[in-house]
Amino acid sequence: MKTIVIGAGLGGLLSAARLSKAGHEVEVFERLPITGGRFTNLSYKGFQLSSGAFHMLPNGPGGPLAQLLREAGASVDIVRSDMTTVRVPLKKGNSDYVKGFKDISFSDFSSLLSYKDRMKIALLIVSTRKNRPSGSTLQAWIKTQVNDEWLIKFADSFCGWALSLKSDEVPVEEIFEIIENMYRFGGPGVPIGGCKGIIDALETVILANGGKIHTGQEVSKILVENGKAAGIVAEGKKHDADLVISNLGHAATALLCGEALSKEANAAYLKMLKSLRPSAGIKICLAADEPLVGHSGVLLTPYSRRINGINEVTQVDPKLAPPGKHLTMCHQYVAPENVKNLESEIEMGLADVKEIFPDKRYEVLLIQSYHDEWPVNRAASGTDPGNETPFSGLYVVGDGAKGKGGIEVEGVALGVASVLGKILS
Amino acid sequence: MKTNDNCVGCGQCASFCKMGAIEVRGKARATDACVECGMCIPYCPVKAIEVPA
Repeated sequence: MKTIVIGAGLGGLLSAARLSKAGHEVEVFERLPITGGRFTNLSYKGFQLSSGAFHMLPNGPGGPLAQLLREAGASVDIVRSDMTTVRVPLKKGNSDYVKGFKDISFSDFSSLLSYKDRMKIALLIVSTRKNRPSGSTLQAWIKTQVNDEWLIKFADSFCGWALSLKSDEVPVEEIFEIIENMYRFGGPGVPIGGCKGIIDALETVILANGGKIHTGQEVSKILVENGKAAGIVAEGKKHDADLVISNLGHAATALLCGEALSKEANAAYLKMLKSLRPSAGIKICLAADEPLVGHSGVLLTPYSRRINGINEVTQVDPKLAPPGKHLTMCHQYVAPENVKNLESEIEMGLADVKEIFPDKRYEVLLIQSYHDEWPVNRAASGTDPGNETPFSGLYVVGDGAKGKGGIEVEGVALGVASVLGKILS
Repeated sequence: MKTNDNCVGCGQCASFCKMGAIEVRGKARATDACVECGMCIPYCPVKAIEVPA
């Protein structure tokens, strides 16, 4: 079985590694000179920044990505993070951190509610596991249950950090699937070596199984014969294949199919492509001599104007920064209407950072933004259209085809696992 | 280096610039230290860096 993978991002390499282990003859084509897509390290001033992801797996060593890495035989050490903390104003009623703040544990979020609402939340935590809410956004659902501004801020910071969306953009079903996965797999973890630790391990598997990875080779066409994927064209050369897996998202994959996609026969698929919206975000990378967050988990900041959450991966792997330094990364959601105002969004993010770390010394290393053709997610979480295409033997993986309830790279892994299930069964 | 409208500000070019000549804030911009070596061009994931004439 000959399988060609287009794009050496996480989804592409996961697929290639697992299939090469299963005996497929695998060839990966990557347009850029480097592999890893938005899931690898970028060396910058002695720090291991990332090309996208935050050097963190949302479900850590027990999650879908870690499991798929084990199945593929990729050797990566993933260290479970400390409990997520939430920064709240010292005095209830204050709207920001200026007059002081304290950090509470993620699981104590309801301690800031009234007694009545706390009881209600306790009941909901039990009842919603059996009867999952559906048919609205998370925010709309919260408002039908508990009328409390804090809860909306808390939901927005979590959705902003985890999905780069606001709570009124996330289907409530997706959040409850995420919560169920938190119970099932546990919370976040940090891979030793950062994102690239995982990419390197996957490449080792692919090469050990005789697979090939071509960088600097752009695929210009996906060949389709009789409704079935038959190969690709890269740099003017035709390569035959039994299976083609695209890591480019559905829209870019469809473009490569060209006239094979018929306006009439594939109308529903083409209509779906038009409805896909990528999510946008900004990452502010900080360098500091002293810890800013102080633990290896996530710090959520619901009372900031723009920053949703922060992690400090050097708490787990000090080698991600020069000796004695910390690497602290802040994420902020960018609303679709603000993508054109990135500079002012960044200004607000930087003002937030000052307010979150008022007495700390730090240096802003690099500010990275992601949207449109190089987004946070090619398909906003909860809107992923699955992995199938109109053609048999052509699958889409990656952050444009995540599985349900999978945050970011966990969703990528769930999507890949679903494709592998179809191919290897 | 000069970027076109494709630039999203991901900073990938800045990390591969040997001269430390790229600033990023929503978009990438070259500083006076840029020597137009073209090193950054292939690393851009959105084909936003224009090839020098």
